Amino acid sequence: MIRFLLKRLGLALVTLVLLSAIVFGISTILPGNVGRAVLGPFATQESVDALNEELGTDRPVLTQYAEWAGGLLRGDLGVSLTKQVPAWDLLSPALVNSFKLALVAFLICVPLSILGGVIAGLRYGRLTDKSLTIAGISLAAMPEFVTGIVLILVFGIWFRWLPVTAQAEEGANALTQAKYLLLPALTLTLVLFGYIARITRAGVIEALESDYTRTAYLKGLPSNVVVRRHVLRNALPPTIAVVAVQVGYLVGGLVAVELLFNYQGIGLLVYEAARQKDLPLLTAGVLVIGVVYLVVTLIADILYAALNPRIRLGSAE
Amino acid sequence: MDRHTRRTVEDYRHNEAGLLENNLIDELVGGELDRQDFLRRATMFGLGAGSIGALLRLAGETDLAFGAPLDAVQSGGTLRVGIPVFGASLEPYLLNEGGALAFAGIPGEYLTFTTPQGNVAPWLAASWKPNADATVWTFQLRKGVKFHNGKEMTSADVVASLKHYVSKGSNAGLSPFYDADGVSARGKYTVVVRLKSSIGVFPYLVSQTTYQAIIQPAAIVAKPGTWVASGMIGTGAFRLRSYVDKRSAELVRNNAYWGGRPPLEGVRITFFQSSAALVLALRAGQVDLVMQLSPQEAQPFKNNSRYTLYGLPTAAHRQVCLRTDVAPFRDARVRRAVGLAIDRPQQVERVMLGSAQVGNDNPFWRGFASTDRSTKQRRQNLELARALLRAAGAENLKFNLTTWNFLDHTDHAASIQAYARQAGIEVGIEVMDVSKYYDSEPAGADYFTTTPWLNRPATLTEYGARGVPNIYISRCYMSTGDWNASHYKNDEFDTLARTYLGAAEIAAQRKATKRMAGLLLRDTPIVIDYFIRYTTASSSKVKNYVPEGISHIRLANVGLG
Repeated sequence: MIRFLLKRLGLALVTLVLLSAIVFGISTILPGNVGRAVLGPFATQESVDALNEELGTDRPVLTQYAEWAGGLLRGDLGVSLTKQVPAWDLLSPALVNSFKLALVAFLICVPLSILGGVIAGLRYGRLTDKSLTIAGISLAAMPEFVTGIVLILVFGIWFRWLPVTAQAEEGANALTQAKYLLLPALTLTLVLFGYIARITRAGVIEALESDYTRTAYLKGLPSNVVVRRHVLRNALPPTIAVVAVQVGYLVGGLVAVELLFNYQGIGLLVYEAARQKDLPLLTAGVLVIGVVYLVVTLIADILYAALNPRIRLGSAE
Repeated sequence: MDRHTRRTVEDYRHNEAGLLENNLIDELVGGELDRQDFLRRATMFGLGAGSIGALLRLAGETDLAFGAPLDAVQSGGTLRVGIPVFGASLEPYLLNEGGALAFAGIPGEYLTFTTPQGNVAPWLAASWKPNADATVWTFQLRKGVKFHNGKEMTSADVVASLKHYVSKGSNAGLSPFYDADGVSARGKYTVVVRLKSSIGVFPYLVSQTTYQAIIQPAAIVAKPGTWVASGMIGTGAFRLRSYVDKRSAELVRNNAYWGGRPPLEGVRITFFQSSAALVLALRAGQVDLVMQLSPQEAQPFKNNSRYTLYGLPTAAHRQVCLRTDVAPFRDARVRRAVGLAIDRPQQVERVMLGSAQVGNDNPFWRGFASTDRSTKQRRQNLELARALLRAAGAENLKFNLTTWNFLDHTDHAASIQAYARQAGIEVGIEVMDVSKYYDSEPAGADYFTTTPWLNRPATLTEYGARGVPNIYISRCYMSTGDWNASHYKNDEFDTLARTYLGAAEIAAQRKATKRMAGLLLRDTPIVIDYFIRYTTASSSKVKNYVPEGISHIRLANVGLG
């Protein structure tokens, strides 16, 4: 187990170094420059040049990268060029925001999707299964901003039940915050439901058709026990792998949902940083999202192993 | 006319009025100015309400009533305002985005105010007066105005601010008009500005239409870039309590406001990342007022008792700039053909849903006092357009129109493309991101000779509203202009422009604008096909809100009904 963790940690480090280098590299072909982004279209070239020199953005990208990476080794994520504050000061509130939204979405989406998948799997081929599958696929095929606008129209504008912007006022309590996050979380649930439920359904069907399930039934176990002990335990591991990947998306990839619900999460922050060519902020943001992905995948692997005794971490490789 | 009125006017002419004011009175009495134009000119020269009223009576007009009566509102309540998020700086001297200037303009205030009708009204300056040739302007400051930090606003603060706005790096664009050395204090409440040359409309240039020119405490101006960190200290009706970048801001009532206690207790601003979210939040009742809407976005708020829709004709417009120095637009006939292809009234209906006024390929909006209204309106004439193209040997004219994805730009470009096709012109459309359109190309290259908006053969660019056309003329049309995207160079035009800019009398200004408009119809370096009506909406419980063409949100009188 320890060997496995160390190996994963090493790989994660390599991934993160590559990630940051790629972001720096790609950004050189992005249009725009920081001085102009800060001073605006009508500033004179003189003042733009002066600001770029002051910020050091007129230097070669390699030099800038080396300086940034050096800082990172000392635990410093760098300073945002456009805002002139440490990147972490901008990233941490955005990351907290993203985690909040991901959490609410996760709490609604995962149990619901698994339940849907299990029901569809148990009712394989019947009307319930078909309805759930078709609904799930249709919803997943719709872009999240379409689903989001429909939900806003119904719950925000017609009935006025739920707030349409996701950001609660400063200092609001957890319950109020959750209420503000409900519509975007529902949007994400609708988007992810079909995907997660399908994987669960497939796992359930496979487990139902397996010999051990038949044996369990034959030895006279009641159906709910068979489902809980044998079917679910075998059907869930692939679902967990899929959910883990979705958590990464829920934290870092929600630009469209964050835009629609006017929510300052890390996805939007990184997108803005890319638009303004704020390299330290962009790279630090991508790195943070990368860390989230890696950590979540690691947790999923451990969970996977815990659920599946056939996998022994470390020794199997 | 009664004896008292005649007496007041004669007293004014002898004792107070200088050459400019006396000419103005002659123009009014001689019938050269209508009531609206007279008001514009009189307020600009700093005439008091008493003198203006007497002069109007002298000319047989009804007396003056400043401002519309206000609705009764309850004191208290917090107004929730939606403003688009901004990327660039919030420091006054660097302001250049609608969202940023709307926010900064709540705690901050200006020397003068350009009213929606185009008059200059007192603001932090209580009155002003030019010298005989309008090269020196003397401003009397309002007494008893306090900054949010409790310090009284004096001439030292105004002098420091005005000097700051012509310093290197400032976006205010005032440096062509005066130098830092030209600004001085005379006593605690008088500021004198000595201009580089005569400018008859100078008070306009220090109003909120030069949105950078917020009056700040001298101590903050001394350290540029610290205004936001200091808490955005201004003199406005509301002072800043908290601000979270890109998310929200809270302002509270300034109980020491010089204009009396504002009805609202506070203002809560939410910054929106997308205009769709902004519109939805207003519809869902989560904000009470938004900064600006496109005509399309304004549709749901029309004829709906829950909302109030505001429309304000302004000088804001779009410029289709055609490079006069490169093919295919070197020949003026080709440029005229482009202008002649467009059916302007129809385009205003289709692209702007009627929220615009037709333009005549010049920047002289009909709301400006200096605009001569006798110039014939250009109309669609496809036959003439084709004939001009044939004569110029450009029958198969093809060109690309470059713009960026802003409000009506893409619809506008597509509309021009469709009209041009009717005249046999093939137009391709190149839509860029804002940062690409307004950056040098490639990044880091010399700005003015490479940036797409100033260098592509044909570009479509937005211009905000101003109280006078001076900035448009000097920066977009004169051969020395730094925003001259059509690379227009015409000595005759330059001479007329200089005459206009230096002229203080309305007759001389109109004579110049008439001749400039004629030249621009002939040369057509820039097609200006519409002037935009500024559109926004609020919840119907918002009372006494008056919109402004340049996106400021004035809340001193606003209340919740």
